[in-house]
This record gives sequence, structure tokens and C-alpha cells, in this order.
Amino acid sequence: MSIPRVLNRKNRILLKELTKTDFKLRYQGSVLGYLWALLRPLMMFAILYIVFAKLLKIGGDIPHYPVYLLCGTTMWSFFTECTSQGIQAIVNRGDLLRKISFPKYIVVVSATLTAVINMLINLVVIIVFALINGVAPSPTWLLAIPAIFEIYLLSLGLAFLLGSINVKYRDITSIWDVLIQALFYAVPIIYPIAMVATTSEVAAKIILLGPIAQAIQDIRFSLITHETITTWNYIANPLVIIPIVFTIGILIIGALVFRRKSKFFAEEV
Amino acid sequence: MKRPVGTRTEIIDKNAPAITVKNLHKSFHLPTEQAFGLKQAIFNRLRGVKGYREQKVLKGLDFEIKQGEFLGIVGKNGSGKSTLLKILAGIYYPEKGDITINGTLVPFIELGVGFNPELTGRENVYMNGALLGFSNAEMDKMYDDIWEFAELKDFQDQKLKNYSSGMQVRLAFSIAIRARGDILLLDEVLAVGDAAFQQKCEKYFENLKENHQTVILVTHSMDNVRRFCTRAILIDDGKIVKDGAPDKIADAYLKLWS
Repeated sequence: MSIPRVLNRKNRILLKELTKTDFKLRYQGSVLGYLWALLRPLMMFAILYIVFAKLLKIGGDIPHYPVYLLCGTTMWSFFTECTSQGIQAIVNRGDLLRKISFPKYIVVVSATLTAVINMLINLVVIIVFALINGVAPSPTWLLAIPAIFEIYLLSLGLAFLLGSINVKYRDITSIWDVLIQALFYAVPIIYPIAMVATTSEVAAKIILLGPIAQAIQDIRFSLITHETITTWNYIANPLVIIPIVFTIGILIIGALVFRRKSKFFAEEV
Repeated sequence: MKRPVGTRTEIIDKNAPAITVKNLHKSFHLPTEQAFGLKQAIFNRLRGVKGYREQKVLKGLDFEIKQGEFLGIVGKNGSGKSTLLKILAGIYYPEKGDITINGTLVPFIELGVGFNPELTGRENVYMNGALLGFSNAEMDKMYDDIWEFAELKDFQDQKLKNYSSGMQVRLAFSIAIRARGDILLLDEVLAVGDAAFQQKCEKYFENLKENHQTVILVTHSMDNVRRFCTRAILIDDGKIVKDGAPDKIADAYLKLWS
């Protein structure tokens, strides 16, 4: 797969059009339409906020806790949407794969791009909420970009890897659904990582070595409050590169597996 | 799990044949019983069962298509015609053998690929156009002509699910004929619409023939073979049994059952 083929004109047109239709179809036939892209995460946030911040009173000492929570849930939704849509992309677009010849990665990327659009819309909401909450705009906001990018690359790698297995073994979709539910609790989204640290520093460190936890804490650090515990300010040894290595590793393995298997997608899907 | 893979090369050479196929083989792995799913796959491996049956579809094809030829491919159902077309189109990989495609190739395995019933006619036109490699700007230019040809102007902003199947095919056909390529691959897309629309389609094919467009047509209509093709091949059981003038091939095809 040489570079000119990957980015050639025909592929760009196709990617754009597929992403557009995916996004349109998502909210087709609903009264509120695209508004749901905003409403869904906001409602999920409202539930979590009422349960965890108001009833259980978790996270009281973190500044701007509601936005902090919203930021975590949004980025988590981004990760889950990206991976689950990406994993199913090949099967969902099976009809296309059987009828025309084009680089198969395009359907996976277009499925994840819909999640990117949703995330960007919500990012605007986070920023508005942050400003309302009295967070001062600062150049460190830009540091969120590489962290968001990291989540995207990890999702893409997982989508390539699991999506190519899913063509033959559809169990992957269900397994991933369950796994992601479990993972939700392994990432400090609804509970502050400081809470874990008071019980066991080792546990907190292990949690922070997960790429999603690391990325979410980084985004919170840069966008909301520098009081956030991050992988970088909490772990002081060379192990801190684990999340980055893991992300790049998954992406490379995913791309290689996908390239090898994609030759037979049209027959197997 | 590693399966042998033949080669499919794309070249651009004014003097070379449009398509060269050498010793092409293809077989499919058909899952036996319930080989789908992880559990069954693990069981099969433990019991040493393959979990699939090998179905040989193409058993060594050799042929060449010259530039400007209108080639008909005929044969019974299941003889391997569509598989051949899909391999030429680059959808399936050749298991063994070498294929050389000279120039740009536009395949129509089916009309209206990517059509979505929930989208409007307009949206579907742009989507289908993108699959043929047309940008939005290019589609804008040919947009009115497409609807004109399809005779469906009043339905542009209706959802596709409200179209009759005949209307859908007409729309798809009208987009498809816009595609330009050195080689066209057509799988049974001739007979669409009512008598009046069919005439239009036939005119399009006559034009292709007059302009010496390289076309490969898979069909069961011997009338079309005789009328449009300059050469035909008869495939039976994954092998080329006859190659030659359309009239002779059409006769041989009809004799398959006698």
C-alpha cells in the first residue's frame, strides 16, 4: 500500500461521501436529528453527575468537577463509539465490499470519523461549560490535541485488529461490548484517581498506565485543571512510556493484520 | 491459514491487450455445518476438522482481450462467470495465476451499489457517483442529465424507499452510464426498465460498440451476445470450453442443455 494510493483522489471522494452518509443515517428519522449528537452525551453526563457527584458525593475537592466529569464521559464515549463502529464497519458495509473494489480501510476510517465529528461537537460544549464554570482559557488547552489524537489512534488500531477478526467470528462484537463495560470501571472517569491512590498507590499507578486513562487525565489536565493527577506527574520512572508504546503497538499490529486479512473480506463477509 | 495468492497487475500501455489472464484458478472455502462463530472454530480445531469445504470455481483460465473488443462471457448458472468478473474487477483475489489489466477499469457487478433506502434520490446519486469516483463538483455538472435520462425528475427529493424497484434500477443505470473507463465490466445489467427505457439502454450499448469501447459483458441473453459482442467465450465448470465468434458461442451455449 503505497502512499499515493492511500490518499489518491478517488479514495478521498469515497471517504468523504461515506462519512457524510454514515452521519446522516445515524440521526435519520428522528425528530431532533443532529441534536442527538449533543443530547446523548449530555444526558449521560446528567445521570452520572446526579448519581456520583450529588448522591454519592464523589469528587468534591476537584475544582470544576462537573466539567471534569463531562470531559471524562465525552472522551470515553468517543472511544467506545469509535471502536464499536469501527469493528462493525466491515460487516455493515459488506454489501459494498462484495460489489466494488476499493481499499477496505476506507470503510473503517469513515465509521470512526463519524465518532470524531460527534466528539468535536461535544468538545465545543465542554469548552463552553468550562468557560461558564470560570476556567480561564490558556495555551495549555492545545495539549489536549495530542491526547485526543492518541485516543483516536488507539481506537483505530483496535478497530482494524478486532474488525478483521469480526468478519469471520462475529462473537467479537458481543465480547467487545462486554469488555468495554468492564473497562469503563478500570478508567478513572466517574471516580477521581486520587480516591484510588489513597487506598493503594500501586493500583493508581497501574490504572494510569492504561492509554485511555492517561489520555483522559491529560485532557482534563490541559483543559480544566492543572490539579489533575496525570501519568506524567504521578509516575516517576521510565514505565510512563507504556501507554504510548501500547497505542503505537496496537496500531501497527492492527494495520498489519488488517492488510493481510482484507484480501479475503469480500469472500468472507 | 495462509492461502496462495496470484497476482493482479495494472499497467498502462497503448499497444498491449486490454486484459491478459494466465492460468487463473480460484476456489472458495465454504463453511461446513455451523463454522461461524468462535466456539465452533475452537471445536473444529480441537477435533482436527477443517470446518470448511473447498469449492473449486475456476480451474485454469487463459485468455486475452484486445483493446476495443466487446466480449461476451456466457455459461450456465454457477459456471464461474461472476467469479471471473469479480476477480477481474479486483474484488476477489486470484488464488493462482496472473492477471494484467491495461488501463482504468470500471466494474458494474450490480446496479445501484451503495443505494440506501433511507436517503433521498439526490443523496443517493451523489453517494453512488462517489463509488464510481466522481467528486461532488463533477456530479453537479451531470446531475440534471442523470435525472433527465432516468425520467424521474419529480422524484429527486423523495426517499429511495418510496421508489418502485423499476425506478431504482433506472436511476442506477442512468448514473452508471456516466462512468468513463478504458474497460467496462458489466454483469447482467442490460435488461432494465420498461420497453421504452430498454430501447435507451440498447442505444447506449450500440454506442459503446461503435466507439470501440472495450467491454466485458456477462449475460444469459444470446440475443444481446449476437447483437453487441464482437467475440464471446463459453465457460462451463470453471473452464473455457469455447472461444470465438458470438454466433457460434451462442449456439454452443444453447446446445448445453440438449
